[in-house]
Amino acid sequence: MSLELDLATGLLYLLVFPGFAFLFVYGLTAEYLDRKLYARLQNRVGPPVVQPLADFLKLLAKESAVPEDATARIYNAAPWTGLAGVFTAMLYVPVWSEQAAFAFEGDLVVVLFLLSLPSFSLFFGGWYSGNVFSRIGTTRTITQLFGYEIPFFLACFAPAVAAGTLSTSGIVAFVEANPLYVFVLLPAFAIALLSLQAKLERIPFDIPEAETELATGALVEYSGRKLALFRLTKDVELVVGAALLSALFLGGPAPAGAIEGSVGLVAGVVVFFVKTLTVIALLTVLKAVVARLRIEQMVDVFYRVLVPVALVQIALVLAVGLYTNGVIP
Amino acid sequence: MGRIIDWARNRSPWILHLNCGSCNGCDIETIDALMPRYDIERFGIQQKDTPRHADILVATGPVTEQMAPRLKRVYEQMPEPKLVIAAGSCASTGGVFYDCYNCREGIDDVIPVDMYIPGCPTSPEALIDGIVKLLAESGKEAQAERLAEKKPEIVEEGTPIDEAVPKEPDADRTETDDAPQEGADEPEPVEV
Ligand code: SF4
Repeated sequence: MSLELDLATGLLYLLVFPGFAFLFVYGLTAEYLDRKLYARLQNRVGPPVVQPLADFLKLLAKESAVPEDATARIYNAAPWTGLAGVFTAMLYVPVWSEQAAFAFEGDLVVVLFLLSLPSFSLFFGGWYSGNVFSRIGTTRTITQLFGYEIPFFLACFAPAVAAGTLSTSGIVAFVEANPLYVFVLLPAFAIALLSLQAKLERIPFDIPEAETELATGALVEYSGRKLALFRLTKDVELVVGAALLSALFLGGPAPAGAIEGSVGLVAGVVVFFVKTLTVIALLTVLKAVVARLRIEQMVDVFYRVLVPVALVQIALVLAVGLYTNGVIP
Repeated sequence: MGRIIDWARNRSPWILHLNCGSCNGCDIETIDALMPRYDIERFGIQQKDTPRHADILVATGPVTEQMAPRLKRVYEQMPEPKLVIAAGSCASTGGVFYDCYNCREGIDDVIPVDMYIPGCPTSPEALIDGIVKLLAESGKEAQAERLAEKKPEIVEEGTPIDEAVPKEPDADRTETDDAPQEGADEPEPVEV
């Protein structure tokens, strides 16, 4: 392949699919579906299809003030960091086949790191906006981060241990080859779902936002364009998180991955949508049926319950691996 | 471009509710309007928790002396463009608190108001209708401004901008609205 062709496909990956344009559209669509399903579960009609786009455009056109007490440089840079993080993370998650747009050994660690960037950008933006509410919100964001990151990492490493590789594409290929692992990894999938919900700061883990106590926490001073970027970051993070979970635990493009040619490509994309939308729907139902926890209850649940379960899961995966290799009869 | 932004603004009004010394009647009705029964998310209306996110300030109550500087401050904290709705009789004129020693006479004593919604208390339907009408009105103003920018000669020649905007047929109003309603104003024949 010539260099120009490489550059062209690289740019295509970066800007169109699965990069910027695709993530933008799919992120807004995911927000719409999330809100619509949430409304239906509350016996409401819900917003029209274009609602997320209208919100985004309106915020772009609004005044974006910088408060007097804020540290302007960090305050302005924070929304961009998180957005850049989630957009980059998608490039290492397989979409249409077991091969991601870009892949190398160990990219799972990079994806996990990039997915925690939004939380840190929220922390820095909130902390340096000079508002008391946002300071309390950001301390809660960080406390919550310590709660969910460890179970999330442990859960994501369970399939990595099973596959014996730290590359997302390798894990997808492994689970595709051994579909029964989907059932072995079910507990890890549940843990990852809960952690993703906490990462996105949605009910029941919306303690850092807590409208009734904190007036949206870290975002309290953000307005206009910067707020639009933060909201877009949340949407895209939802999509990337769902894509990562479907790749690690549900076998990525599993039944369609074996088909060759352009038919396989289309089938792979369809399977991708079905699986990510399932994950998003699960998260929405969770959001609709439970109420908010308190911060110490949340950390308690994650440390006392989910970390031990994740450790047992890894032990289980090791045992199954030894059994299938014939070491244990 | 301006048209797209107008469309987006009309589709996504985020409101901030502020109690300026209301008797709580109007507040309960405002909260009522946010409940699933009225489902204002259909119009893209969302209740926001901080002035920085809001487009429309829904203020209730006659504005007590203590609340006046705070109302002003919240108004100033909202990013442009912003609109203000005075919800309830008290917010519009002072209502039952008129001429009270510790109250101002309505929201417009302190900040500019774009829409008055009367009622003691105002009903949720009236509030939702008010927000929708206010958006239509502000959309027309924005349209007039765009036109004035594009064709400055209209303004220079002395035609008011409002009249220069072509009138759109009002889809909501049916003919029956305009037709004089017979017998509506006639007093009942009194039989002796
Ligand atoms: S208008 Fe009536 S219900 Fe509303 S605040 Fe005034 S007195 Fe209370």
